[in-house]
Amino acid sequence: MNKPLPDPVPASIEEAQVRWQSQYDAQIGDDAPVHNRSGIPIRPLYTPLDIDAARFDQDVGYPGEPPFTRGIYATMHRGRTWTQRQLIGLGTPATYNERLRDILAQGASAVSLIPCNSVFRGYDMDEVDEELLGTCGVVCNSADHMDACLAGVDLASTSCAMNDPSPFTLLAFMLATARRRGVDWRAISGTSNQSDCLSHYVANHMFFRIALPGARRILVDHIAWCNEHLPRWNPLSVVGQHMQQAGATPAEAMAFTLSSAIQYADDCVAAGMSPDAFLPRFTFFFDISLSFFEEIAKFRAGRRIWARVTRERYGARDPRSWRLKFHAQTSGVDLTRQQPLNNIARVTAQAMAGIFGGLQSLHTDAYDEALSCPTAYGARIAVATQNILREEAHLTDVIDPLGGSYYVEALTNEMEERIVAVMDDVEAAGGMYRAVEAGLVQRRIGESARRFQARIDSGEQTVVGVNAYTVDEDASARPALPKPDAALMRAHLDDFARWKTRRSQSAVGSALDSVARAAHSRDQNIFGAVVAAAEAGCTHGEICGSLRRELGFGHPLIAV
Amino acid sequence: MKRGEAGAVAPAARLAARVAALRSGDRATLARAISEVENRAAGARALLEAIAPDVGTAHVIGITGPPGAGKSTLINAILRELVSRGERVGVVAIDPSSSLSGGAVLGDRVRMTDASAAEAVFIRSLASRGNLGGLAATTHGIVDVLDAAGFPIVIVETVGAGQSDVDIAALADTAVVVCPPGLGDDVQAIKAGILEIGDVLVVNKGDVAHAERTERELKDMLHLRKARERWSVPVVRTVATTGEGVARLVDLVAKHAQAAGVGKRVRARAAASDAHAIDAPAHALAQRDRYLRFLGIDVVHVGPGTATLRMQVRAVHLNFNGTGHGGAIFSLADSAFGLASNSHGIVAAAVDAHITYQVAVVEGDVLTARAVEVSRRPKFAVYRVDVARADGTPVSSFTGSVYVTRRTHVPAGEAPASP
Amino acid sequence: MNADTMRLRPKVLVTKIGLDGHDRGSRIVAAHLRDAGMEVVYTPPWQSIDAVVKLALEEDVDVIGVSSLATDHLIVPKLMRALAAAGLGDVVVIVGGIVPDEDEKMLVDAGVARVFHPGASLDDIATFVADAAARVRAIRFPAEDLAR
Repeated sequence: MNKPLPDPVPASIEEAQVRWQSQYDAQIGDDAPVHNRSGIPIRPLYTPLDIDAARFDQDVGYPGEPPFTRGIYATMHRGRTWTQRQLIGLGTPATYNERLRDILAQGASAVSLIPCNSVFRGYDMDEVDEELLGTCGVVCNSADHMDACLAGVDLASTSCAMNDPSPFTLLAFMLATARRRGVDWRAISGTSNQSDCLSHYVANHMFFRIALPGARRILVDHIAWCNEHLPRWNPLSVVGQHMQQAGATPAEAMAFTLSSAIQYADDCVAAGMSPDAFLPRFTFFFDISLSFFEEIAKFRAGRRIWARVTRERYGARDPRSWRLKFHAQTSGVDLTRQQPLNNIARVTAQAMAGIFGGLQSLHTDAYDEALSCPTAYGARIAVATQNILREEAHLTDVIDPLGGSYYVEALTNEMEERIVAVMDDVEAAGGMYRAVEAGLVQRRIGESARRFQARIDSGEQTVVGVNAYTVDEDASARPALPKPDAALMRAHLDDFARWKTRRSQSAVGSALDSVARAAHSRDQNIFGAVVAAAEAGCTHGEICGSLRRELGFGHPLIAV
Repeated sequence: MKRGEAGAVAPAARLAARVAALRSGDRATLARAISEVENRAAGARALLEAIAPDVGTAHVIGITGPPGAGKSTLINAILRELVSRGERVGVVAIDPSSSLSGGAVLGDRVRMTDASAAEAVFIRSLASRGNLGGLAATTHGIVDVLDAAGFPIVIVETVGAGQSDVDIAALADTAVVVCPPGLGDDVQAIKAGILEIGDVLVVNKGDVAHAERTERELKDMLHLRKARERWSVPVVRTVATTGEGVARLVDLVAKHAQAAGVGKRVRARAAASDAHAIDAPAHALAQRDRYLRFLGIDVVHVGPGTATLRMQVRAVHLNFNGTGHGGAIFSLADSAFGLASNSHGIVAAAVDAHITYQVAVVEGDVLTARAVEVSRRPKFAVYRVDVARADGTPVSSFTGSVYVTRRTHVPAGEAPASP
Repeated sequence: MNADTMRLRPKVLVTKIGLDGHDRGSRIVAAHLRDAGMEVVYTPPWQSIDAVVKLALEEDVDVIGVSSLATDHLIVPKLMRALAAAGLGDVVVIVGGIVPDEDEKMLVDAGVARVFHPGASLDDIATFVADAAARVRAIRFPAEDLAR
């Protein structure tokens, strides 16, 4: 005879719930409703009544397999700790190289490079005011400069991530350097960090150089070229960070990111690539705010959704295609200028949320990030924070330790609903490209930003040291900004000028012509032409300038 | 504080020097002159009178269309094309003022960054300051200043609120209506409104499929419209961000100037003042209007498509607040509308009207209502009426449309025809 | 709204020169000035100094607000010189953003009317701009009765 199935919720729990509720109501007094940043109401207590235990297989499962809620790998951080990748960039290539070797010696396992603002804007150092050079990033305009930046770094065994927007000249310079050193391109590993042109158009205007239709085409070419020549390189990093920092709620940021990834995947399919060929190389980059549990739930829900999309929408069969592989950075927007050392506590909480959320790579902000470019001292504490969390607090000994928590599982489900609702809105608008050109995404982010600011202005959302727990500190103490050595920069400029005259002008000219031709030809790969141009000695400004002329200067849609 | 008084009129010599500087192309003088006119400063009227002989040679191009059509980006592309052809261009870009604060963010020129660097281009942003119809109240005067400063081409970008942006028709020699793909679906496009006034229609943006469909729908709609004399309205496809189609658009706009002439607004002003102060048949209409007499409204002038009426606010016109009753002001505006729309001798019946009230008036205020014809088609016409106080303060803006019948007005003395 | 209050509204330019692209702060200030009844010409970041001068001239602005992060403020003196050379020395210039103490004096010496640091109240900024604009207009339009 069949045993009756056990009642999933024993009657005693419901009775206990009622008892607890009446005790709570009697004792609580004034109980203002609580919502998280995505607008989900948060209750004081979560119990087995909030989850459907029968849905364990679909909703929770095991790490390393669908639904991937608990993690994309079976081993997660026990098998391989997350990559400690600290962003650095300052001054001249020589200065950068010195700091890089310092950080590698301290235990960072990978290289990261942030170029100067002039590079972000697509200019060479001799095209901008000298006072502005090298203050927040390294001035790298050529393959020679890249060679100097990466002196002493074994490109075959070190993963590199560079903030390198379209047309990805920094990668091209690195490949030229590798060729010079005799390093096989097939050994090069790393990521074209933040190569996602949609997020630039919407929320990181700094990186937006080429008009959107042109940037869209270059991205597909880039993915195709890297898939063919760089098997260990991730050409696509889809970014949720900027939109969240611009004010998108965590649910909106995840939704817009996944919707962008869908657009890129659609473009790759339209270009004739097979999903299993390009999806394994899709990576993501998210912000981690201080909304601790919300962030954890956001990442878990995101993994579940992406696994479903890759299988159902693209029919991907390779398990590597289903994984939401992501780097995350603690959110600088949550940090304050007031009482800056408090930011160490903030970054710790954000990092923990990211770790529990199952990231693959983590950047922790320095406490002085809110003031200007971080100092070496602050950067050291940021790295130590990660080491402490992992090795002293033992946060990684257990995979997805919050899995099974009634709150976290219920919140993961609710975040998924919110995320999918926004993704549906984008789909209804015709996809992310249409939605951003019409300004819909930007308006929505603006509204969320205003709402959040209103909560801070009203005091509903506390910011310690700003609208609560303030002290009369020396408000006028405004530290000097790190400036690169002026003499070194001047020497860098002079070297650059001399080097330009020594180049083969005809090689440079014909390489730039090839870039321009590729921009207008459907059959040629623009990124391939960019790499060839880097090898021929073209500068960053020359390459960007050529593509801007052919494809249009990138003006993002800005609304006040 | 009597702004009407001419206590601050510039001495003749200073004015002459300024006009000379303006004509010679001095940009600082131009910018300051525009500010004076925009703000109705003391010297503005004298300046406008002094430059009156110089205006009428500029080709005024109006760019209008619903939000999202990409007007500003298109103007940027047009400017680049014109500059590459050696032209000098003045641009007036109008943005809406906030009805809450009265302030404005003037963001149109943000999209004209490329072109605005050229020495040959002068761009001025204006806030609508509550004026409806797509322009600022002082736009005509500002365009005159740019005309007198020697710009052979002046581009005016309207607020872009969509169907109600019709004032450009009276100002521009060539009205370019920019449509994003998809507008063609809207049946409203057939009625009076921005598509009615277009001399050149542009389909901007959008992928090829959508744009083609919209282009077809617009061409179909044009067939339903009676062709304008000497000009058949073309539909042009452009992609403003890349410049595609813009050269052709510029060519067509220039062709229209050749066909229809430039300085239309100046000729209309001249015609309005040349006409008899009161057109005899129209006077007869006014005489037959008992309500006009009842309210104490005087007819100052009626001409083809225009009318100017005056009313002094008396005790009977006041409401419970002791200010001018909206109905009285409406009646004044509506009366001007009625006379203007019936001034051609054909019976026109009002179909709809709307009014906004900008400032309260009090007993003793003398209000003047000026009606102008914005658009006239065989069966349908649109009018705008501005009501102002004696000191120039805008009191009210009124828009009305009429259905034009086939009946003519009978001369005075005969019995009116049955409806 | 009536003619008295509509005339001679403060005309303000909010802009960013240099290389930094963070415009969230400047957009918030521009919106606040609009809400305070001013007419604001807003530009995206990365304006060249020549473009700013040309814009200020054409728009006949009363006040220019420069938003600056990173070391962009270091080229503000260049902007001040260019404005003076173009005959726009009467335009009031303020700088908002991250400016180290040691550089603030340099800016004021170059003619900047006021430097606003992060945390400055939006109302304070609006009041300063409105007052500055009123003084500029009083000189430019001496015949006008500017009482409001």
